Amino acid sequence: MSLIDNVMAGFALVGNVDAFLALAIGIVIGVIGGAIPGISATMAVALALPFTFPMQPVNGILLLLGVYKGGIFGGSIPAILIKTPGTPASSATILDGHPMAERGEAGRALGMALWASCTADVISNLSLILLAGWLASFALSFGPPEFFALILFSLTIIAGVSGESLLRGALSALLGLLLATIGLDLVYGTNRFTFGNPNLMGGLNFIAVLIGLFAIPEIINTVWNPTGHVGKVRTLGSKWVTFADYRRCFRSILRGSFIGVFLGSIPGIGAAPAAFLSYSEARRTSPNKANFGKGEIEGVAASEAGNNGVAGATLIPLLALGVPGDVITAIIIGAFMVHGLQPGPMMFVMNVDIIYGLFIGLILSSGLLFIVGSLAIRGFKPVADIPKRILMPIVLVLCIYGVFAVNNNIFDVGVMFVMGWVGFLMSRYHIPAAPFLIAFILGPLLEDNFRQSMLMSGGTPDILLRGPITWFFWGLTLITIIAITRGTLDKAREKD
Amino acid sequence: MSKRAIQFQLGIGACLGCLFLILYAIPHWISSPSNIRNIVLSPRFWPSIVAGLTGLVGLGLLVVSRSTPHESGLANTPIDAPRAGLIRLAGLAGLMVATFWLLPRLGMVWVSIPAFLALAFLARTRHPKTALVCAVAVPMLLYGFFAHVAGIAIPQGDYVRLP
Repeated sequence: MSLIDNVMAGFALVGNVDAFLALAIGIVIGVIGGAIPGISATMAVALALPFTFPMQPVNGILLLLGVYKGGIFGGSIPAILIKTPGTPASSATILDGHPMAERGEAGRALGMALWASCTADVISNLSLILLAGWLASFALSFGPPEFFALILFSLTIIAGVSGESLLRGALSALLGLLLATIGLDLVYGTNRFTFGNPNLMGGLNFIAVLIGLFAIPEIINTVWNPTGHVGKVRTLGSKWVTFADYRRCFRSILRGSFIGVFLGSIPGIGAAPAAFLSYSEARRTSPNKANFGKGEIEGVAASEAGNNGVAGATLIPLLALGVPGDVITAIIIGAFMVHGLQPGPMMFVMNVDIIYGLFIGLILSSGLLFIVGSLAIRGFKPVADIPKRILMPIVLVLCIYGVFAVNNNIFDVGVMFVMGWVGFLMSRYHIPAAPFLIAFILGPLLEDNFRQSMLMSGGTPDILLRGPITWFFWGLTLITIIAITRGTLDKAREKD
Repeated sequence: MSKRAIQFQLGIGACLGCLFLILYAIPHWISSPSNIRNIVLSPRFWPSIVAGLTGLVGLGLLVVSRSTPHESGLANTPIDAPRAGLIRLAGLAGLMVATFWLLPRLGMVWVSIPAFLALAFLARTRHPKTALVCAVAVPMLLYGFFAHVAGIAIPQGDYVRLP
């Protein structure tokens, strides 16, 4: 069949009210799910999965894709308004989004988050459609040494989110790397810092650590200084995002979108590192570098473009190879199977109408996300108007329910409380939380890929430089380290 | 606390943490098989690298603290009554411990209600009536959503069970 035939076959499948409604409902569920801390896009997709069983395959999958995309954007709403990321992918949005909310520009931050999300979503979807085969074959050539080199390079983004002191950022990252070692050793199955507690054998729950580190310190701060916020505005404000803002941030949005597309097409990386990398790159190249972390709208745009750029790209390995790009696409692959479909190269031959139907649905989803997102920003306005000393107890209860719901485990609530105090102490000592989180995400990947490489080579480190992909990432790492060192030395010289 | 003091304390803390990890925590709290051929494959290898780097960063912080001027100013904004603040923080820590301990015994809803009120009290809310209404409504609504929409088994406790 020709391309036109395929597109028409796709239209025949999704050119109806049911498919449109499924997508729209999915986006609404996703935005709400993403906006409730602790639910997360992953959980929202998992919760929606059983409801798709009686639906037509393409409608069911569109609903789940809608939840996925809505969830990633929805996570930015509480990240900006109450400094609690609805999804891990929104962690980077806090860095500038919340300071903007604190000075009464929440509406502007949310507006930019939406515009950047939708732009990145369009780019990601187009990349999926145009590059599915090529990018998937590239990602397939990644083995443990390539992953190790890539993740090592990704760790250099810590420098971009370390704030005023690189050493304190490094200390934070090392703490994250250390806590990520808790659990059973993946090669030998022996205990590492588990103290015989079965709850610790799987490691610390990521959501509990994330919420503990970002939301609970806010509560503790409110108790420490209940009137500290008085006089500070935290409303949507009358200032909304303008086209001039969008134009100013366009380069960062574009760059972030492509970073998201690239990282999203490699299985296992996920949206959070993409958001941080995009943020870090935007900060590195921006003329307003000094404002990053203090409420710079370009920071919001870059992080949201980074995480939404991943959303379409994670479907590249899923559709082309049948390999899930992250946890959410792993759930979505389950939906394909429930409906008797097997994603992979054969699907492009056997069910090409569904493939093109999904492509068309994905293109529509960006427009729908814009409409639903605009309504959601206004719908969540009351959250910004709640007095802080009422909001914080609400956040506490929300966090307790949300963290428990991830694994049905009360132990995770305890982890969240402990991490909250760790986060509070870190803020008192001016240790940034973002490097901790990045290291906590990337640490296990780094270690596993390193040890797998060593197992493959029998302990010879030469394997870490085995081909052009590893050389490329080692080269990038080296260049970044040189740039960071030069920047730090220049800063020290300026101070003198 | 001044910026210089912060750098110094962090540096000392990181160095002590490094020593504690290398000399006690890693050998005692990480089990490693005795027949590992290559040291880089040991479960202790990676934490040891992290510990070593922590020590290096600690030394770096100590060096930087020496070059930070004494009059570098206060790092944190002081609050009106620090003693009362500390008492409130101790109260919050107690509240968290009590919440964690009581969750499986009384159930999530019945623990969340007093926890909400206690936190609103600790934060010295100016809206006690709103706090009371929210303290009951928020846990109930969340229970309704998680238990009946999401199908999650929210802990009910041993005494009063909700439908």
